[in-house]
Amino acid sequence: MAEHDLTKTIIPYLDRHLAFPLLAHLVDTAYFPGEQVQAAQYELAKGTNMVDYAVSLFEQLHPGEEIPEEFTGKREKAVSTNERLQQEAQAVLDVIENPDVAQALRQDKNQNLQYLKDNYNLTLEQITALYNFGQFQYTYGNYSGAADYLYHFRVLSTDNDLNTSAHWGKLASDILTGKWDTALEELNTLRDIVDSRSPSSLLTASAEPAALTQLHSRTWLVHWSLFVYFNHPQGRTLLLETFMSPTYLNTIQTSCPWILRYLTSAAILSRKSTGGASSRVRHSIREIVKVIQTEEYQYQDPITSFLKELYIEFDFEAAQRELTLAEGVVGDDFFLGEFKEEFLDNARYLISEAYCRIHQKIDIRDLSARLNLSADEGEKWIVNLIRETRMGAEAKIDLEKNVIEIHRSPVPVYQSVIEKTRGLAFRTQGMGAGMLQPQGAAPQQAQPAVVEAAR
Amino acid sequence: MSRFFRKAGDSDSESEESDEELLSSGDEDAAPAKPAAKPAMSRFLRTAGSDSSSESESDSDDDESDMSGDEGVEKKKSRFLQSDSEGEDSDEDVKRVVKSTKDKRVEEIEATGKVMDNALKINDWVAISNEFDKLLRLVQRQSNSAEPIPPFFIRTLVGLESSLNSALSKEKEAKKKMNATNARGLNSMKQKVKKTTKEYEKEIQQFQNDPEAFEREYAALAQPTEAAPVKAKKVKKANLSESEDEGPEDDRFTTVGKGGKAMQFTTDSIFKTLKLVNEARGKKNTDRGEQIRILEKLLEVAVTSYQRIRILLALVSSRFDYNSSVATFMPVDLWLSAQREVDQLISIIASESSYSVQETTEEYDGLIERSPATEKDGIVRVRGSVISFVDRLDDEFTRSLQNIDPHGTEYIDRLKDEKVLYRTISRAQGFYEKTNQPEPLARVVMRRLEHIYSKPDAVVNALESSLASSEIQPSVIITSQSSTSSLIHSLCVHLYKADNSLLRTRAMLSHIYHHALHNDFYTARDMLLMSHLQESIHSADVATQILYNRTVVQLGLCAFRCGLIKEAQSTLQDIFTTQRVKELLAQGVHQQRYQSQLTPEQEKAERARQLPFHMHINTELLEAAFLVSSMLVEIPLLASIDSEEMKRKAISKPFRRLLDFADRQVFTGPPESTRDHIMQASKALQDGEWEKCRDLIQSIKIWSLMPEAAAVKDMLAKRIQEQGLRTYLFTYAPYYSTLSLSLLSRTFSLPLRSVNSMISKMIWSEELSASLDSPTGVVVFHRMDHSRQQQLALVIADKVNTLVEQNEKALDIKLGGTGGWGDRGDAGKGEKRGEQTQERRGRGDRTRGGSGLRGGNRGRGGRFAQGLGNQMSGQSSQRPR
Repeated sequence: MAEHDLTKTIIPYLDRHLAFPLLAHLVDTAYFPGEQVQAAQYELAKGTNMVDYAVSLFEQLHPGEEIPEEFTGKREKAVSTNERLQQEAQAVLDVIENPDVAQALRQDKNQNLQYLKDNYNLTLEQITALYNFGQFQYTYGNYSGAADYLYHFRVLSTDNDLNTSAHWGKLASDILTGKWDTALEELNTLRDIVDSRSPSSLLTASAEPAALTQLHSRTWLVHWSLFVYFNHPQGRTLLLETFMSPTYLNTIQTSCPWILRYLTSAAILSRKSTGGASSRVRHSIREIVKVIQTEEYQYQDPITSFLKELYIEFDFEAAQRELTLAEGVVGDDFFLGEFKEEFLDNARYLISEAYCRIHQKIDIRDLSARLNLSADEGEKWIVNLIRETRMGAEAKIDLEKNVIEIHRSPVPVYQSVIEKTRGLAFRTQGMGAGMLQPQGAAPQQAQPAVVEAAR
Repeated sequence: MSRFFRKAGDSDSESEESDEELLSSGDEDAAPAKPAAKPAMSRFLRTAGSDSSSESESDSDDDESDMSGDEGVEKKKSRFLQSDSEGEDSDEDVKRVVKSTKDKRVEEIEATGKVMDNALKINDWVAISNEFDKLLRLVQRQSNSAEPIPPFFIRTLVGLESSLNSALSKEKEAKKKMNATNARGLNSMKQKVKKTTKEYEKEIQQFQNDPEAFEREYAALAQPTEAAPVKAKKVKKANLSESEDEGPEDDRFTTVGKGGKAMQFTTDSIFKTLKLVNEARGKKNTDRGEQIRILEKLLEVAVTSYQRIRILLALVSSRFDYNSSVATFMPVDLWLSAQREVDQLISIIASESSYSVQETTEEYDGLIERSPATEKDGIVRVRGSVISFVDRLDDEFTRSLQNIDPHGTEYIDRLKDEKVLYRTISRAQGFYEKTNQPEPLARVVMRRLEHIYSKPDAVVNALESSLASSEIQPSVIITSQSSTSSLIHSLCVHLYKADNSLLRTRAMLSHIYHHALHNDFYTARDMLLMSHLQESIHSADVATQILYNRTVVQLGLCAFRCGLIKEAQSTLQDIFTTQRVKELLAQGVHQQRYQSQLTPEQEKAERARQLPFHMHINTELLEAAFLVSSMLVEIPLLASIDSEEMKRKAISKPFRRLLDFADRQVFTGPPESTRDHIMQASKALQDGEWEKCRDLIQSIKIWSLMPEAAAVKDMLAKRIQEQGLRTYLFTYAPYYSTLSLSLLSRTFSLPLRSVNSMISKMIWSEELSASLDSPTGVVVFHRMDHSRQQQLALVIADKVNTLVEQNEKALDIKLGGTGGWGDRGDAGKGEKRGEQTQERRGRGDRTRGGSGLRGGNRGRGGRFAQGLGNQMSGQSSQRPR
């Protein structure tokens, strides 16, 4: 199963601190020898300012050995830097926390800056101290503090690059502290920044590197957002909304096809959430199947193959086999682990829906086997299925022969005519409106024809 | 030439005047007009000589222009004569080998003197003037070849001066005696003599002081030079045995031979000869072969690197000059020696870093030997361009391949030379890498890439194998562990970094081609899509468009080999719709099908663009691949649609046309051509006889040209089985209410599972209104009978739809077509509309046909490119880079 583990692929696109939970999860799954994972954790921690954590990891890794000298020095240094930065930042914070100031601050950042400078002698450099302190706090693991400082910095600062950097930092901090709502907000603003960047930077730099940077930012954003989307209650739908938009779909196809696993899972998971979702979400499975097909040569795993077998090959046996595999993969995945049951439920539903649509008479035992269920469970499941969906009118269970019979009447002609002519009136109206603007002339013949057909 | 001059001079005095006329006009743009004026002059003289009588017109040129004109005459004529008499001498020499050139010249000088004496007696100043010019030239040549000035000349000069003075004084007294021409002759004589006396002032003085001593001195000087040629001859004979029998040639090279022996003359004479050759270059009646031989000889005697570089530069250029016409190619042996010399040149400048060949240098004197020591920064810069030689060498190679009959052994022999050419190119690359010149490096890398991108691994390895032994190696070569792909990759990556966007584009296309050739369809396709080339290719130059077409076609073939039938069909479709496959791939010239009139220039240009035969993509194979994939796509589609209305929409028009044509035939014989095979196979497929279809397709002979033919045939058999099943279901569904799956599986020898999955797919996508009955294992078909009224209702709904669409389109056009109002987000519709218009445009193009003239290729190529862009993006969305 280790070959389907994506941790190694994903970590390069994550912040050092974001990788810790992933590694911790790896310890649980026991795909890899515990020592190796610990060694990786230690290596990771060494590069941060979380000295105590690194030391404890070192002790676990090399019990009985001397703790390297560098840690004590590093610790002292970290503490002193912390104090220094805190002092610098405190000066600014004192001013900002003053209620008078808070009231006086306005939307316009430049004006605020001027105000602070005039009344409290605060310069831009001092404000940058907030950023530095926030960043430093982040490096030693005080994420909530970091989030606070970065937030204050962002409110005041006018430096675009530092602001973006502060955004990323805040997002990471929010993710690590588990504040999913704020993280989601942060994610959305960050997304806007990344997306809106292209036109402005196009003017300054040449097009090529700008596009490349944007692609990089998007790739990072896609990876980071996984934390948010799979933890926020509304996350899966939002993930579909985001990832199915053409720009992000392109990003995934170009630079990180493995994200397809999460996209696919999200699509399967959010099958039932029809209410209120946009058409993009509703038709997501169809779209994703297309993408899976095109990207098959680059990436496939049991989850994507499941959809492929089900919707491209219509090989129910293979689909069922893949589903069994996928069950393991989903269960062990860091992001998907919690959704294993839900995933299975929905996947079964997809299978039975497809199966019913194609077959006229279905042996219940047969279907139950397809769904990895016992005959009794299967029957219950199928009854639920029929009750839940609009198949109710068409499908009947015949217990004597132990089959389901499905009678689907062909689409009536009038319905297809309505289908075809739907929207014609609207389009014609649009045309009329378009005509009225510049010229008065109108192709009148369209109107009666539509009326006739719509009747 | 001298003979000719004599004639002109003798016949009358008018030639002088004509000279003046010409020169006074040529004077205005003195320097650049020089070479152009010369042939014209000689032609003019010839005619003037023939009708000698009409001379009456005595135009009154003012003296000033006369004077300057005369000066010009002297210089120009002398140079002209010199270079030319070389050639003429050689002709005459064949007959009288005995005399040395020097003796001959002295004799000539004396003869001229005599004629002048005679003319003096009858007071014919025009003749004197002519003869004097000749004399001057002879003497100048004498001094050019580093020989002492004969005393006879000085004597004549002195005598002439005195007689001139007396004539002038005489004329003052009796002005009327002389006619106008003669007077002018006298005048010009006066100027000339004055000038010449000044030039030879020292000698004259010596002579006047002691005539006898002067003569003795001359004799003493001449003596050793008499002996020299004999020795030089020997030396040379030792050097080159092959030119032994050519006596006259040896003779002519006495000067060089002498230089080789007497060191103090070496540099001088080499550079002088070089200068002469350079001046004669490009003139009308220069013997090019002769020049090459001169330079070859020079190269042998050259000692310093500087000399060798200079001579090699001149030699290679003159080899390329040898064949001036555009239509034919350079002789192979010449090409080979040019190749060797370019190699030699590169090794010289690569091994001696203090010499550098550049296209632009500071002015330097061509007659002086230079060495790193004499230059300011220790680097000798010579004017020339190695990269242009390499380019030219490559171009000439291609041109020779274009002209040689590709089915003869000569072609194969010629093709073997590619190895040495490739080595030269690689050496040049190594050299430029060493000297760090990015611009020519990029060009030479491109040349190298173009030699290997379309070749299979074995050929590339053979080409590369020669590189390991050469002393200058490029940075990337194939070693035992690396593959061709990595070589191509590194070459391409180098070019991607180059500034030149044309090179980038071509590198990209070559890279894609290479991927496609190696069956790496996805990489190739992704690269093509990400490069966004299809959007800009129609504005590229023709050669790049051809490369693009080749790449796309190769991509299609690649998809076919990989079994991606749909992709292959849509990729190849565009180029086949044009019906000018050969032309678009530069594998055949435009056929005069549309009665279009190509101007000869256009035709010539097109011929020059043709690819050599070994680079061709086999069009028959291409057509077979296209038609077979069209068959696999089109036949099930044909079976699935029933109404006449729908039938008109065809996916593949060329295929449909062929099929209709085959349908109309009353009798069908056994298949002969590839097309026949495919058409009969299609009919068999339509009838559900997949086995017959498979056999027909597999018996097409052209498959043997495809790599991995057996695998491709197996793949095709499988596809035929599948599509046969689909066609069968579509065609015969109305006649069954149920069909057993196992029967189907037996009929089409497909495993039950895949039958199951195929039918499921058809049901799911609503192509087939049926459902499976799993307990009994049958397909149950649902009949959908529409009443007449219902059918009509459906038809009218469709029609209304098209009506609205057309209205929208009309409005779009009327409102300027920017679609400002009509952006309704139904992209699918918009796309379809786009396709329709494009189709229509395509048809219009075809009917107009002939009027498209030559631009047609470009235009259609462009559209082809765009069309393909649409098709491809349909398969997979385009990505930002």
